[in-house]
Amino acid sequence: MNDSILEVQDLQYTYADGTPALKGVNLGIKRGETTAILGSNGAGKTTLFLAFNGILKPSSGRVLFNGKPLDYSQKGLKELRKSVGIVFQDPDSQLFSASVYQDISFGVVNMKLPKEEVRKRVDAAMIRTGISHLKDKPTHCLSFGQKKRVAIAGVLAMEPEVLVLDEPTAGLDPSGVSEIMKLLLETQRELGISIVISTHDIDIVPLYCDCAYVLNEGKIILEGTPKEIFSEKEAIRSVHLRLPRIGHLMEILKDKDHFEFRETALTISEARKVLKEWKNGL
Amino acid sequence: MINIDKYAYISKLRQTAPMKKLLFALLTLGVCLWANSIIVSLLVLLIMGWGTVYKGGTPFALFLKLLLVPMSFLVIGVLTIGINVSDNQSAFLFSISVLGTHIGVSQTGIQNATRLFFKALGAVSCLYYLSLSTPMVDLLAVLRRLKMPKLLVELMGLMYRFIFVLLETADTMFTAQNSRLGYSSLSSAYRSLAALASTLFIRAYKRSDELYTALEARGYDGELNVLEDPFQTHMTEYIAPVVINLFLVLTTLFLRRFTGGLLI
Repeated sequence: MNDSILEVQDLQYTYADGTPALKGVNLGIKRGETTAILGSNGAGKTTLFLAFNGILKPSSGRVLFNGKPLDYSQKGLKELRKSVGIVFQDPDSQLFSASVYQDISFGVVNMKLPKEEVRKRVDAAMIRTGISHLKDKPTHCLSFGQKKRVAIAGVLAMEPEVLVLDEPTAGLDPSGVSEIMKLLLETQRELGISIVISTHDIDIVPLYCDCAYVLNEGKIILEGTPKEIFSEKEAIRSVHLRLPRIGHLMEILKDKDHFEFRETALTISEARKVLKEWKNGL
Repeated sequence: MINIDKYAYISKLRQTAPMKKLLFALLTLGVCLWANSIIVSLLVLLIMGWGTVYKGGTPFALFLKLLLVPMSFLVIGVLTIGINVSDNQSAFLFSISVLGTHIGVSQTGIQNATRLFFKALGAVSCLYYLSLSTPMVDLLAVLRRLKMPKLLVELMGLMYRFIFVLLETADTMFTAQNSRLGYSSLSSAYRSLAALASTLFIRAYKRSDELYTALEARGYDGELNVLEDPFQTHMTEYIAPVVINLFLVLTTLFLRRFTGGLLI
């Protein structure tokens, strides 16, 4: 797995109270791709993410960044956190300043860059996330979606190589979800960064992700492209997840109504293609 | 308090350098206290009211309402100064006798009380001018520039940020309790309130933990270093506050020299 920017090998982590959170996780995050970590509540997604930038030190196993094991010294962690940025699920616990501008600048200032560079990056991050107009607004007057964007901007401004987002779409309205995901995709394309998201919003996975892992009770049980993992219907359902709605519809049409499709489909555009082919085949 | 905060952000004076506003407010406050004169106090009240309402665009009704906030303290304070007790009835303008002594109002008593009343009102208007035109964020930036201890400024900033989160959490919990009849009787209200307070404390603790993790992920090293939005300032901007206060000082001196009694 030489094209992996982040690699996790046999990662185990046990909480201080003895509860095991991760029980030997192996995975690789590919450079320049969007990877989804799927899992039900309490599957260990957040814990895994905290191991990505060294906030949690694994009980055993290791994490490699660019092929090198993480260096848990203070200096090593500082370097690592410049390259691996985490956006947390609840923006209210990430945004510490009442000023949007100051909050976004925090991470960049910590990188000890010259002032002009900091200013440039903060402005660029605000434009990218579409929040330039919120610059003078206090954090507590923003809507949830706006706070989420500010939180993303605060990490993007550090220009990380890997952007890790814990449940980026949780709590957003439907158009908020697609806006955030499009923004992430655009950012990834333009800056060539790798993105990791955790989610149980199944429908966004085939739309925006190149590859996915399914985490259950601290273990990876499935991995592959969205198409590959969603073909394992039994396994997906056994861990309290489901197929994308379109995938489910296609399954019912095929199994119960005896439609004969050449391919499966997980998104609307795929389904459209398959149905058109079916119509032409009549 | 939350209202004041909201008006500060939409004030037309928001873009004025906070240092200038702070200087203006504190200088005028100092002069108002030093002058100890009804006329100067009224002038201060007028200038600050004009600054807040006309220049800042704060609704006049709000400014008036805020001035009424300290009124109850003020009235009680003024009464205790204005009303005196004495054996000598001739010292009073009017008085009533109670158990052999006289309780009443003297000329100097009235003077002192009125002076204090307007002095306090003038001083309060200075602070309202500042807080209705300068959001906390800007004020903290000034304090940082004035080399206040970093820890103190950081703490103030965090408190300010999380007061709103705490209030929101408390509000949600209160509504949730209330909708399950948590406040329907006095005893259940006590119980609900106790549960709310303790849960709020635990929540706050948890949140501080999460905040620390999130800060750590962005390279927190013990100091909340941020880049402040720059304000365009020029030394000439400080002329107006100084000139206004010079005028107030001269007025005071003039009044002291040429008039007396209630006019001062």
